[in-house]
Amino acid sequence: MAAVTLTNVVKRFGVYEVVHGADIDIADGEFVVFVGPSGCGKSTLLRMIAGLEDISGGKIAIGGKVVNDVEPADRGIAMVFQSYALYPHMTVEQNLSFGLRMNGNPKADTERRVKRAAEILRIDELMQRRPKQLSGGQRQRVAIGRAIVREPQVFLFDEPLSNLDAELRVQMRVEISRLHKELGVTMVYVTHDQTEAMTLADRIVVLKAGNVEQIGAPLDLYDDPANRFVAGFIGSPKMNFLGAKVVETSNSAAIIELVNHGGVKLHKPLREAFPAVGAEVVLGVRPEHFFEAGEGDCDIPVKADVAEHLGSVSYVYANAGPEELIVEREASRQRASGDHFTVSIKAERSLLFDKAGARIR
Amino acid sequence: MRTQNATAYRFLTPYLLIFAIFWIWPIISSFLISFQATRTVPWRFAPTFNWGRLIGDPAFYNALKNTLLILVIQVPVMISLAIVMAVLLNSPLLKARGLYRFAFFAPVVVGEVAYSAVFRLMFSLDFGIINKLLNSVGIPKVDWFSNVTPAMALIMIAVTWRWAGYNAIIILAGLQSIPEDVYEAATLDRVSRLRQFFHITLPLLKPVIVFCAVLSIIGTMQLFTEPFLITERGGPGGGTETLGLLLYRQGFRSLNFGYASAVAYTMAGLAIAITLVQLWLTRDPK
Ligand SMILES: Nc1ncnc2c1ncn2[C@@H]1O[C@H](COP(=O)(O)OP(=O)(O)OP(=O)(O)O)[C@@H](O)[C@H]1O
Ligand SMILES: [Mg+2]
Repeated sequence: MAAVTLTNVVKRFGVYEVVHGADIDIADGEFVVFVGPSGCGKSTLLRMIAGLEDISGGKIAIGGKVVNDVEPADRGIAMVFQSYALYPHMTVEQNLSFGLRMNGNPKADTERRVKRAAEILRIDELMQRRPKQLSGGQRQRVAIGRAIVREPQVFLFDEPLSNLDAELRVQMRVEISRLHKELGVTMVYVTHDQTEAMTLADRIVVLKAGNVEQIGAPLDLYDDPANRFVAGFIGSPKMNFLGAKVVETSNSAAIIELVNHGGVKLHKPLREAFPAVGAEVVLGVRPEHFFEAGEGDCDIPVKADVAEHLGSVSYVYANAGPEELIVEREASRQRASGDHFTVSIKAERSLLFDKAGARIR
Repeated sequence: MRTQNATAYRFLTPYLLIFAIFWIWPIISSFLISFQATRTVPWRFAPTFNWGRLIGDPAFYNALKNTLLILVIQVPVMISLAIVMAVLLNSPLLKARGLYRFAFFAPVVVGEVAYSAVFRLMFSLDFGIINKLLNSVGIPKVDWFSNVTPAMALIMIAVTWRWAGYNAIIILAGLQSIPEDVYEAATLDRVSRLRQFFHITLPLLKPVIVFCAVLSIIGTMQLFTEPFLITERGGPGGGTETLGLLLYRQGFRSLNFGYASAVAYTMAGLAIAITLVQLWLTRDPK
């Protein structure tokens, strides 16, 4: 078991810098998820930890030891690839034992480890099959099994579930979570799926274009995002962003006007920073934080455009002036297209951002 | 559906007609001819005439021996070379990959006569560059054309030169279909490059290699150009005569079509038999 520490890690491909100095501390036994949109450098970071990519700058330490110049096989890690990367010509059993056999591991120990991995993942019956004869979910288990057999200090997963269908994805998600509890080892998991991140992680690292935007526990990111990007990325459906302007400030609050909703005003208490009067700001409200008319601190009228009824909840896509808002409603309050209704915003259930996207607290 | 098929076949008719006349019919006809004495007029049916002669013909055994010898040495050497070439061609370190790919493929499209003439020049006793090079490293001149062993070696070298690149390109396609992350997984499993080659690359290339080997076996069974043009009709003294050459001599020099057909069927039969044995030996364990 080992902690993983990234200190000012930089990655360049030729002249293109794709990771700009990442500082990430992963505690021993922690489950950390790297999340971010496509191309933000998640895989690159993971592959640098694995040793499959060189580190252009900064340091990576595993278990307190800097591994910049350590061979991948000597880093005490195991990786599960998005495409599984199973050896196609070997049976499941051979896939699991290949690395150990190639390194002259005692036969009895190899057998013990393979057996244990097969039990943990419930793939005992598949041992004599080849990857071609397995379903996607079974292949994924074998790929994880191959990692378990190495008895690594750190597990690395690169979007392991993205090739599976929705139902299987939920099932495997639970299993990976169970595996983490069972083995108690450090796990670093890459995904662009925020649900996976929220459900699996002890802590989430949100990345954007090669920069670490925020690191924190899932609910901390949800409740208290550092900026507009994180606020929009964490939570599903996405947070709504309403254009606003500061009309008055005091030493404990700002009064903002929602410019696209007929000049409705909201009294927003603030603790740290006080924007200038006249500054353009953005108010973020999650779909689940719209209240019934009159229940909140300011009301805005909207017109339902499309409603998605999921059973337990409905999402109403509503037009309000030039802005489209997503409003969550309980299923009993279904609305049809064209309905006019009013939603209410509570100051403590909304977030304020400046024009550049930084949070104003 | 019916009429659609009928229309399709009507469009295919010209091709099928030509195929039948120039492919199917000769195959059937030569089979029948192999059972006829064709040196008499008119030809007469004599089932054991050609086949009986074949079984006792020292010229046939000589050609068979030469062909199989070339097959057994040249094909494995060439395929191994082609695998090495393909791996080098696939290396990310290689610059100007397109140029090499072209260079490897070029021998196949060069005219046979031109290529043979160049080989004759290169290997000529007194003026050839090969002997000059051998001399310069202290090896005495080799008379490539007057002794059987060097002449056979020359044929094998020439055939290998002409087809190794072609096979390398096919194997390269196979190499490129192996996903990179399989090698990454092996690297994480602490498997060295060399062992990755033997435990991952080779097994995954097996179907492609078998395909190349089958093509090469069929090609070598019919070997004709090199012994005809480079060692001058199987010289010295029939020392490099192959089955293909024997067939040509019997059929088109002596106009003994019956015997030539029997030789042709023997070649085809052997090619099929060797290929089947090979497929059986390299079958997937199940
Ligand atoms: N070998 C490479 N050469 C050049 N650029 C690369 C290379 N690999 C990745 N990149 C670039 O680095 C950036 C980060 O890539 P990376 O694969 O880490 O993204 P990602 O976050 O994993 O995205 P995804 O969710 O699509 O997998 C991208 O802009 C990509 O184009
Ligand atoms: Mg990726």
